[in-house]
Amino acid sequence: MNHTVIDAHNLVKVYDEKTIPLYALNGVHLHIESGEFIAIKGPSGSGKTTLLNMIGGLDVPSTGEVIIDGTNINNLKGNALIDFRLNNIGFVFQSYNLIPVLTARENIEFIMLLQKRSSKEINTRVNELLKQIGLEDKADKRPGELSGGQQQRVAVARALAPKPKFILADEPTANLDSVSAGNLLDMMLQLNIQEKMTFVFSTHDQRVIERARRVITLEDGKIVQDSAPKKITHPMYEN
Amino acid sequence: MMLIKIAWRNIWRSKKRSAIIIASIIIGLWAGVFLIAFYNGMIEQRVRTAITQEISHIQIHHTEFNKDYDPKYTIQNSGAIYDSIKNIPDVKSLAARMIFMGMISSASGNSGIKLLGIYPDQEQSVTGLKDKLIQGNYFDSGRTNQMLIGERLIKKLKLNLGSKAILTFQDKEGNLASSAFKIKGVYKTSNSPYDEKYVFVRVHDLDLLAGLPGEIHEIAILLRSNNSLNAIQTSLQRKFPDVLIENWMQISPEIGLTVSVSDQMVFIYLGIILLALAFGIINTMMMSVLERTRELGMLMALGMNKLRVFIMIILETLFLVLVGSPAGIVLGLITTKITHNTGIQFKAYKEVYANFGYNDIIYPELAVKQFITIVFLVLITAIISGIFPARRALKLKPVESIRK
Repeated sequence: MNHTVIDAHNLVKVYDEKTIPLYALNGVHLHIESGEFIAIKGPSGSGKTTLLNMIGGLDVPSTGEVIIDGTNINNLKGNALIDFRLNNIGFVFQSYNLIPVLTARENIEFIMLLQKRSSKEINTRVNELLKQIGLEDKADKRPGELSGGQQQRVAVARALAPKPKFILADEPTANLDSVSAGNLLDMMLQLNIQEKMTFVFSTHDQRVIERARRVITLEDGKIVQDSAPKKITHPMYEN
Repeated sequence: MMLIKIAWRNIWRSKKRSAIIIASIIIGLWAGVFLIAFYNGMIEQRVRTAITQEISHIQIHHTEFNKDYDPKYTIQNSGAIYDSIKNIPDVKSLAARMIFMGMISSASGNSGIKLLGIYPDQEQSVTGLKDKLIQGNYFDSGRTNQMLIGERLIKKLKLNLGSKAILTFQDKEGNLASSAFKIKGVYKTSNSPYDEKYVFVRVHDLDLLAGLPGEIHEIAILLRSNNSLNAIQTSLQRKFPDVLIENWMQISPEIGLTVSVSDQMVFIYLGIILLALAFGIINTMMMSVLERTRELGMLMALGMNKLRVFIMIILETLFLVLVGSPAGIVLGLITTKITHNTGIQFKAYKEVYANFGYNDIIYPELAVKQFITIVFLVLITAIISGIFPARRALKLKPVESIRK
């Protein structure tokens, strides 16, 4: 049974409000159900990253509100907001952003250690995730010893580790070659199909858009198109 | 545990930078520990010399004597007091003395002196006067009017061993008394002003001249250990309330002051070194934080709260210091240990040191208390140095940091 995980009302983000106002977002309404696989596309400066930052609680809107699974995150401050992100939102960044001094396994464990999970639970979960991303044999390698695609897979596993309500992925394929990008997206799509994990992408990448069941187009801080769930032609949906 | 692991590994990310700051810490602490030990050795030696060769641990006088050294103020019942003190187990030795402020005259000039009438055996047991003779001999029992004078004084008066000089001083009635004394021996201590001022004769050659037969002005007491100083002083004062009983810090306030200032000096020396190190550490950690702006922003975005970020940076600083400090401190201790056994001689500055009462060989030493203080201050420095970069890290905003 699907339910609403993200509910954004009238999001406005304006810079230089008192001089020459610049609207990064201008009245965005967004409603995302659990299990969705959404791509937010648009030209550079259209507000994709700003929208993702607001949904992720990394940035605050000038007006409007973001409600995550019933919690208005704009009312959360400081450590309460950080803890909320820790337990509810997974992030995948364009440039992987793994902790360079930790191995792949430790990078995945790290988030769960912050959540103070038991070591038994952490071990089980990390092994399961390493298997899912196909990097069991690279578990003890540090990010510098992994390829870009492998690092991004670890980043996805790290985002999944705390069992978040959804994952925000900001241009996750931008730094990857086409084979690695395809493999990564297939892996994410598989997680979406099998585990009903909600993914929200900000992207220019056609390969992401091809796999998405819903595509939102932003222009000048406004949603200009929000495609209804469509029939996907990608082979993974046919299995 | 994970924070400790990350912090530890983070300090090795820029090996060259960490190595430079660790080397600075090692050299700084090495120099700091040794400097403190050297300073201690100098002070300790001056105090030891002053106590064992000049003023002893405790001195007893008539309550009025020290005001203007009037010879009439002798110690009453000195024999009973002397015998009583002799039996105290913690007392190593003691010496009775007559003291006159006087003058020594020769054909070439004269000089103000402090004339000490001594019992040779007692004096030897307290100040080791005989051992300091560089010319001539100690007192002969058969002969009268012999004196021992310092090397500096004999040079000043252009006298020689065996020469005679006139000693003049005030007697009990305030009249001038004088007599010729033959130089039996020349002594030399590590304190040139002392050598120029003190002239020793036997008490029996003075007491009749001064009109004070069998009287004494001073009892000098040498203890087995300075630890029992306060207890013995208090007990003697209680037992003999009519005499003035002073310890070496009261007798020679400048030495007491040197000792009390030395503790503060240790803090000042160490403070300067640690301050310099702190700036180096802060600089290194600031660079480290600035370089990791995006990473720190990412950690906060993922859910690492401010306290954890703060702790991580403090731990990194602490590790950086803890890697260098033991090596620096151990090197300092080894250097101190070696030089404590061999001594460090400053031949070229022998006269300069002697003018201030210091020996030209210094034996560095470090007290356990000071060692603990150094370790404690190093840790405090590390934590304080970590606060600035940690605060800087806390001011980062994830959304801005991730973009960098």
